[in-house]
Amino acid sequence: MAGIVPVENAGPIIGAAGIRVRMYRVGFGDFFLLSLKQDDEVAHILIDCGVHAKPTNSIDDAVAQLKVDTKGHLALVIMTHRHADHISGFAKCAATFKEFQVDQVWMPWFEDPSNAQAVKIQAGITAVAQRLQMAFSANASPGNSSFALMAGNILGFDIAGQSSNDLALSVLHKGFANTPSKVAYLKAGDDAPLPDVLTKMQLSAEILGPPTDPKLVSQMDGKNHQYLDQLDASTGKTDSSPLFGGQFNSDGGAFGDEILGQNGLLNVTRKIAQAQPDVIRAIAQQADNTINNQSIVVLFEFNGKKLLFAGDAQWGNWQNLLFGGAFGAPGHTALTEEAKAILKSIDFYKVGHHGSTNATPVDALDAMRDGIVAMCSTAVGAYGSEKNKSEVPRVPLMDALKAKTGGKLARSDQAPVPGADTFPDPLDPAFDMPTHELFIDYHL
Amino acid sequence: MATSNSQNTIPFPGRRPLKVYAFDPSLGRMLGNHLTLDVRYEPLKPGPVGARFAVVDYDGNAKMFYEAVDLDHPAILLRGGLDPTESDPRFHQQMVYAVASETLERFEVALGRRIRWRHAKSRTAPLKLFPHALKQANAFYSRDAGGILFGYFQASQDTQGDVLPGQTIFTCLSHDIIAHEVTHAVIDGIRQYFTEPTNIDVAAFHEAFADLAALFRHFSHQEALIEALQRTGGRLYGPSLRAEASDGTENSPIGGQLASDNPLVFLARQFGMVSGHGVGLRDAIDQKADPNDIRVLTEPHARGSILVAAMFDAYFTTYIRRTADLFRIYRAGSGQANPVDLPMPLATLLAERASKTAEMFFQICARALDYCPPVDITFGDFLRAVITADTDLYPVDAHRVREAIMQAFRRRGITPDGAGYFSEEALRWPDAPSELPPVNGLVFGDPNGLTDQEKAINAPILRRYAKDNAALLGFDPTQGRIAAPSFHPMFRLGEDGVLRIDMVVEFIQTTTEWFDPAIPELGKFEMRGGVTVMIASPPFEGEQRGEPRVRYVIPRKRSKERFECQRSAFAAGGMMTSDHRIDFALVHGA
Repeated sequence: MAGIVPVENAGPIIGAAGIRVRMYRVGFGDFFLLSLKQDDEVAHILIDCGVHAKPTNSIDDAVAQLKVDTKGHLALVIMTHRHADHISGFAKCAATFKEFQVDQVWMPWFEDPSNAQAVKIQAGITAVAQRLQMAFSANASPGNSSFALMAGNILGFDIAGQSSNDLALSVLHKGFANTPSKVAYLKAGDDAPLPDVLTKMQLSAEILGPPTDPKLVSQMDGKNHQYLDQLDASTGKTDSSPLFGGQFNSDGGAFGDEILGQNGLLNVTRKIAQAQPDVIRAIAQQADNTINNQSIVVLFEFNGKKLLFAGDAQWGNWQNLLFGGAFGAPGHTALTEEAKAILKSIDFYKVGHHGSTNATPVDALDAMRDGIVAMCSTAVGAYGSEKNKSEVPRVPLMDALKAKTGGKLARSDQAPVPGADTFPDPLDPAFDMPTHELFIDYHL
Repeated sequence: MATSNSQNTIPFPGRRPLKVYAFDPSLGRMLGNHLTLDVRYEPLKPGPVGARFAVVDYDGNAKMFYEAVDLDHPAILLRGGLDPTESDPRFHQQMVYAVASETLERFEVALGRRIRWRHAKSRTAPLKLFPHALKQANAFYSRDAGGILFGYFQASQDTQGDVLPGQTIFTCLSHDIIAHEVTHAVIDGIRQYFTEPTNIDVAAFHEAFADLAALFRHFSHQEALIEALQRTGGRLYGPSLRAEASDGTENSPIGGQLASDNPLVFLARQFGMVSGHGVGLRDAIDQKADPNDIRVLTEPHARGSILVAAMFDAYFTTYIRRTADLFRIYRAGSGQANPVDLPMPLATLLAERASKTAEMFFQICARALDYCPPVDITFGDFLRAVITADTDLYPVDAHRVREAIMQAFRRRGITPDGAGYFSEEALRWPDAPSELPPVNGLVFGDPNGLTDQEKAINAPILRRYAKDNAALLGFDPTQGRIAAPSFHPMFRLGEDGVLRIDMVVEFIQTTTEWFDPAIPELGKFEMRGGVTVMIASPPFEGEQRGEPRVRYVIPRKRSKERFECQRSAFAAGGMMTSDHRIDFALVHGA
């Protein structure tokens, strides 16, 4: 399995502030290691570990390297949200993770088993995703593929009869060497517990998301529509036999050209065919957004440097941070002073949601300072299409980020991996790829 | 024999009776559910196809047409339309035609003019209604398809209540859904740019307004009201109807002893039952008004329910006030304070007041449409429009309706921009600047609208007027051409018996803006500012007609805040078609 032998002491921490951000390149998925050095003390924070589409390097290799990089000790593990492309590594490499010492685990409050609302929301989304998966497997088509991925991302893939996401969650709760894990379930504004080693190093962490306002959250579970819900009927292929037992079938002869105009009949059938909405796709998109919006958004400060990790937070999560409430509601149309101050102050930004259009709002980007450094784990062609302006990563956003960072934007797909698509731009010299091109480092 | 001697012709009656479900098939015959609507008479071709609606029964799932009903067939004319049934598509066609016609007529009566559809091609072509267009639990208005697509679907196997597991549910047999969707088409006909979701309220307003139109109709059919009144002891707003004979428990094995839902306060009841969602007004009015909702709710239906709840709070408050005297008379005659059985005469009187009040509220809402700014509607704008429109026609708030509305909105935190106080005077749109010159030469036509020639006279006059008075109207003359996409004459009878003739005109200025001038890669979007202008045809001065004067200039000006709002809304881009319009198929479906 492991094609690459892990390298000892690869890319040591050399930045003036003692910070190294390491992005493992495993495909379309987040796998970040934040390593901090103070005097002779080194501590490691793992932020997500997953891949769900367009795999490149083997995640087994990457986790093996992680073990060497951290000597099997993680001060903190952050699961930003439960999508496979952020957690599948915990399942796939459960055996390796079993040998890790983990001092503290953070998860969004949606994972808290003692919170009835959270449990209900997650169960509801899982049920929706299961239905979607059935529907998409019955209606497989190239146009559906990225939507089917969304459902799969919620459920994970099958590992020995178990869903990889269930397995990953179980690893995070009780699969490390020191079991059960010490887990904190976090929401915006929480005073997040840090393990002693990080407190001693004077790392500070501010939790900016996910939101908790029950009404904001109830909209996030996508269940509050007054009527016209579709799912019950959309499992699998639909039966296309005519209604009323065929007794009233007709050729539409009542509608001559004098009634519907020239070629009216043809136009009607064509318009109706075009207007069949892709409700299943819309639901998949919505379920996907909902989970993304559960992401923990955390702002770290260490030795005067600030780093923002936004998980896959999209509009619903961000707007709470940026505008202090639902964007566009009276009094919530401009960035709050607090948001401006935060965004202005950051030195490093982990690009939200693999560079999708709605994860980094224009306003947020505007408020960041020029010359900020950004890293983005992504792959072209997994989701969306340029035609709908929904491609991930969104090309204009990437261009805008490149302008903002003065070129200091590293993409995980920027160096060739045999058999995978590569984004042709060379990596900016601000970043390193010390060994095997298994990861990209940035030092602060 | 059957010679056409014009002197002896029997004229067609003005109305055509057609049977429909008052709610949907799930209620059986309860509460006058089998209802006869009298719609305006017009000759109909099979479909039915008339001047305003064409029912085209094409099933997009089976790729099959269904036999079209001929409502002019003597066998159908004789029985006042086909009887309600789920198993004959010809009744479905009849019902969508009848309810759509009823809904349209209510708007036309309230607005005092003919409503035009906004079609891709021709504005005189009828709106198409497709009763079985899709096999989906969805129904929506599509400008592109030139009509309304109704879906059908199978109820799931674990369905309970009045629906059989696996039963086919037809959205085209839900009175509420038809009324709701036709309302979307009506609004789009009146306000071209209300389908651009330029702020958080726009899509929510569409949903709320369509729900209001459907719900107020529940209270305007007296037959349905009388039974509900008797079984709620006069409390129409209660969540359930008392059992016909209660044994005092909730566990009686006998159906006649069980309480049932009050269908008046639910929207699209059968649909809600099947899709497993709590539905309707009850959800909204059951809870204490929370002014924080307006700050956090963004999903269009959830946000729209704030507006629906506010309007119905005002409606029920007015109903209670207007019926208080009847209850006092009843109690004075030794009636109980909380009556179990209402005497029939009392129920009839209550029903009459409830339905009159409902009709009044519907008209208040409908008229307000003409007093809304042409772009970027907010709930606060709608409140100002409601107050202005109603004051215009009824200077004295005799039933304290406006007061009830203002209080209900205030309790829910809906506050308009730019109004300093929460009073009638402050909420009314201000009078137009007196420096604005008269709009000389404007032709008002008649209640049927304007002819092509009349339109050809008005269009250049209005464009010229906007250009000459750009600054006074609130435009920046340097920002390009000002268009007049619509102008409609309105004919309304005031309470003083005087016929008031106005012209409502939309003026719009559109510019193209960068999402971010520093990052041209992000592209551009269209930014609109605009005003709705109300021009009155004044009464005679001596033997001369006075000059048409501008009475209101209802603004949605360009501002930094609006710019930011619109830019971010477009950048976020949820539930939108590629040309930045609300995609109703997705708003409803998902």
